[in-house]
Amino acid sequence: MNISKNWLAAYIDLDGLNTAEMADMLTFAGVEVEAMHERGVNTDLVVVAQVMQKTPVEGSDHLNVCMVDAGEGSLRQIVCGAQNYKVCDKVPCALPGAVLPGGWQIKEGKMMGHASCGMLCAASELGLPDKEHGLWILPQDYKVGTPVRQFTRTDTLFELEITPNRPDLLSHWGMARELAGITGRSLKTDPGDILPPTQPAGDGIRLSSPEICPLYTATRISGVKIAPSPTWLAERLIAIGLHPINNVVDITNYCLFELGHPLHAFDAAHVQGALHIRRAHSAEHFTSLMDVDYVLQESDLVISDASDRALALAGVMGGKDSGVTEQTTDIILESAWFLPSSVRQTSRRLGLSSDSSYRFERGAAAWNVLRAAGRAVQLILECAGGKAEPTAVAGQAPCTVPEHQAAQATVLEQGSGAKVFCALPQVQLGWKELDVMTHATIPHMEAARILRNLGLREATPGCWDCPPWRLDLKRSCDLLEEVVRVYGIGNIPPTRTAIYVPETPQDRAHDFRCELSRHLAGAGFWEVQTFKLIAEQSADPMIASVQYALPIKPLQEGDTIRVALPLSEDHAVLRPSLAPGLLAVAARNLNQGMDVLHFFECGRVFRNTGGGKGKDIESEVLGILMAGKLSPSCWDSLKPRAVEPQHLVAVLESLLPKQTVSITPAKLARDAAALSADILINGQSCGFMARVALNVCRTLDLPQNCYYAELDLRKLQQFVTAPFKVKELPLYPASGRDATLELPATVRHADVLKAVESAKQKLLESCRLKEVYSDPTGEKLATDRKAVTYSFLYRKPSATLTAAEVDTAHGELLKVLAAKLPEVRYR
Amino acid sequence: MKEQIARVQAVALEQIAAAGCMKELENARVAILGKKGTLTQVQQGMKDVPKEDKPAVGALLNAAREAISAAMEARTLELQKQADAAAVAGVDITLPGGSLPAGGLHPISIVREEAVRILRRMGFTLADGPEIEDEWHCFDALNTPPDHPARNEKDTFYFDSGKLLRTQTSTVQARVMEKQAPPVRIICPGSAFRRDAIDATHLSAFNQIEGLYVDHAVGVGDLKGTLEYFLKALFGNNTAVRFRPHFFPFTEPSFEIDVLLQATGQEPRWIEIAGCGMVNPAVFENIDRETGKSLYANCTGFAFGIGLERLAMIRWGIRDIRLLIENDVRFLAQFQ
Repeated sequence: MNISKNWLAAYIDLDGLNTAEMADMLTFAGVEVEAMHERGVNTDLVVVAQVMQKTPVEGSDHLNVCMVDAGEGSLRQIVCGAQNYKVCDKVPCALPGAVLPGGWQIKEGKMMGHASCGMLCAASELGLPDKEHGLWILPQDYKVGTPVRQFTRTDTLFELEITPNRPDLLSHWGMARELAGITGRSLKTDPGDILPPTQPAGDGIRLSSPEICPLYTATRISGVKIAPSPTWLAERLIAIGLHPINNVVDITNYCLFELGHPLHAFDAAHVQGALHIRRAHSAEHFTSLMDVDYVLQESDLVISDASDRALALAGVMGGKDSGVTEQTTDIILESAWFLPSSVRQTSRRLGLSSDSSYRFERGAAAWNVLRAAGRAVQLILECAGGKAEPTAVAGQAPCTVPEHQAAQATVLEQGSGAKVFCALPQVQLGWKELDVMTHATIPHMEAARILRNLGLREATPGCWDCPPWRLDLKRSCDLLEEVVRVYGIGNIPPTRTAIYVPETPQDRAHDFRCELSRHLAGAGFWEVQTFKLIAEQSADPMIASVQYALPIKPLQEGDTIRVALPLSEDHAVLRPSLAPGLLAVAARNLNQGMDVLHFFECGRVFRNTGGGKGKDIESEVLGILMAGKLSPSCWDSLKPRAVEPQHLVAVLESLLPKQTVSITPAKLARDAAALSADILINGQSCGFMARVALNVCRTLDLPQNCYYAELDLRKLQQFVTAPFKVKELPLYPASGRDATLELPATVRHADVLKAVESAKQKLLESCRLKEVYSDPTGEKLATDRKAVTYSFLYRKPSATLTAAEVDTAHGELLKVLAAKLPEVRYR
Repeated sequence: MKEQIARVQAVALEQIAAAGCMKELENARVAILGKKGTLTQVQQGMKDVPKEDKPAVGALLNAAREAISAAMEARTLELQKQADAAAVAGVDITLPGGSLPAGGLHPISIVREEAVRILRRMGFTLADGPEIEDEWHCFDALNTPPDHPARNEKDTFYFDSGKLLRTQTSTVQARVMEKQAPPVRIICPGSAFRRDAIDATHLSAFNQIEGLYVDHAVGVGDLKGTLEYFLKALFGNNTAVRFRPHFFPFTEPSFEIDVLLQATGQEPRWIEIAGCGMVNPAVFENIDRETGKSLYANCTGFAFGIGLERLAMIRWGIRDIRLLIENDVRFLAQFQ
């Protein structure tokens, strides 16, 4: 909301306050100052000047060289680009050295070869509302050389963020009242203190939906003269960014920003018979005063008349044909109360928001209904003339706060002919609670003074009457908040208490994740954080999409979890795997010329267990992607090796130095995977590894050697952090024997290991792959064969093995291998 | 014989001096002291020396051997020194570094870890909760009115199941309190989601750290002392911190916290960094009603939330929040 300092000063004494102090005052009242704008000129260097000559600049279609009389005795040459002035016009002239709003400093200069010693100004350049397009043409009776600031007032506009619990601050009076309460500065006369004479509405107003509109008042004013608003009123509206329209419409707007209660004026000539406040008919049409057609629902509330036409959308906006125009002579002024949730629902559904709906949504005070009517009637009679009938009142002020209904209440009476009763809710404040919350640092006397300044009255000890505008004060904690807020948290001494708390599993999970991340970062991987919402399918390689997810278990229809209303198809589904995000990261960085594509991410993945009908599962996983080169090319290694699957396995093994990592090829490869395998840690499945399908690599423009592994973080943590005991160091030496097996190329390392294991050779301590040889030319070895060399290590814990013992054991082992493996030949 | 010894010694010393490398020196040693070496041969002539001359010739021979050995040793040291110097003579240690693959942590991880480290030192433990939440934990428990704007499907991601992506990590407050009796002193770093279009200052998925301390007689002073300490630890001990009254449904009184930061060449500015407040008694009542226990009836506490993206942006002067999700290595490499 915009607040003008000058306008505010009409209600509260702001003497001696600069804008920074004002901003602080607002800030510590809980009102955030989002921006401040200085309005008007605050310098003597902007003066009235008369244009004496005007010569077009050659070669320019809009510039003129002007000679102006700025009251200096001689003429001043200024190049000007505006079009709306003529010789003899008086305009504001900024002299060199002047600083205009926004910090813009005027200097002497040259434009298209002509000296320009100053600037002729538009109103907007002086921080004033623009009245015309181009230069600000001043009245002829202004004397040249006079500083313009003598004719303009400076002002400061505050753009404020009002929190949703404080609708009472959404007006200048409301803000003044709050600042007075907080600072103790004195408040001037309450402009809403003139209540109009009232009469019962009788048949004149029909309330068909009292649950939404329990109180409606209408004041008929006859014989008004529609005209432009008086300058003081127009200026205040302009100051907060509104455009004056005519006196009656401006006054309804003015009252809204003065007292905070929305009003509406109907042209009485367009209202037939009694006003009828009813729910809209289903599919009823309504044309707003902005000439937009809306289709209404029964949950919307409209103001209609005997013709049953909707004249206005209650609390949101007036209708096209019933508003005040220049022909209007009689008006009906509406001041009413509408249910916040109803106005909000209508406003949101139709995408139609107004200053009025904004206030009703947040909760206008019913107490303000007659005050705003009275103030508007007073101003209309003053500015537009006419004769007002007593305000017709239908219904009663609602009590909408459940806590207030239960509480005792003092009743406030408003009106004469027809009375409106406003309950003043009572709230208990326990001093003990205050002492607990503030560690007894706020004296009770001081707390009571703060509450009184905010308009509360202590009805009985510990029980406070709340002012009728503070609908947010419902419970004890609301009063505590007021006391702490106004007393100032700055005045409450800080304390540091702590308790001993046991470590949680989440603490350990966090530590593990940090250690893991540092390990991988040290091993040459970039940690990334990709978006959790991804596309189902996307043609853009840099958009992560589910189609590139690589898990072993196929994704079924309904496995992925889709948000009901995505912002875009690019972010519509919760990621079922980290692979799509990491592939998109690789694609993006490849595009930047990176050829070492090593990335990892730790984070949650999401899946539904039952094709959309089961439970939504969130699990923490680690995803590792390796593609392209193994290391960057550099002057000392011009051709680094390409990434191969064993490099990714080596990374996994480095994470799990004490565990056996085995890779078990999957029977079924996924669409997006050329090869896929289960990762087993000590025989337990903990994740998967895959080579990205080559066609996917082509689509994403990635290198063909793109490998990915995904591991369950919790399982990984279990293995890595499992307790262990050290092994005794061997007392006797081991003996090694190598063996080279010539095998069909299709026999895998895992098959050989399985065969070695099946031999159950007791003396065998370890078996390590030493070399793999194949000959693509087929000269030394058939192309469908390979030669693999293994080193076998034998040891006996109790004695040194003799050569004969080792040879026997080795021979037995080789025999088993020959039997178990197909077409083995020893070399 | 005496002349022979003198001659062999002179020649030997010349040979040693002439040796230009270790190999030549070794050759010289063999030629002098080897089985057929010159000195060895002279020594073999000792048996023909008359008995009375033996002591004198023997002494001479020993002196020659010692002189040769000493020369040999001296030359060895000298040559080794030359060889060592030559071995490193061609090495250019000013060459650029070789090619280890580079890697590093994501900036969000770095700030998260730092904030968590400080808070754990202050006696907070970690807690966690699901990101796919129900309305009760996300809104009802936290005193958000049924028609609050945040509960709209235009502002929050809902699923057809009626569940939603949590809009704040505060959900974990409810999750922890319904399981655990006071005292509670937890933090929860985690993701939250809002249906905001992605631009330079908004992400629809972002990271927060939530904190909660509930016990008997926790006061506003504790909130202030705790968060001041935390923010000073994070931003530097001289950082000014201020608490501005604000409004959140789940705390009362509520505050926004600003820190006074100075960018080079700019006036110091108050920058909003976190939200906090005393837990609204309605939250405790909601938990107690849900669990059917009366664990939190006499408790007070404070809660706070801080955005990690914002923290990273302020700390490193990141202007566009999207850099944090694009994972461009040219950006990531700056945090190595």
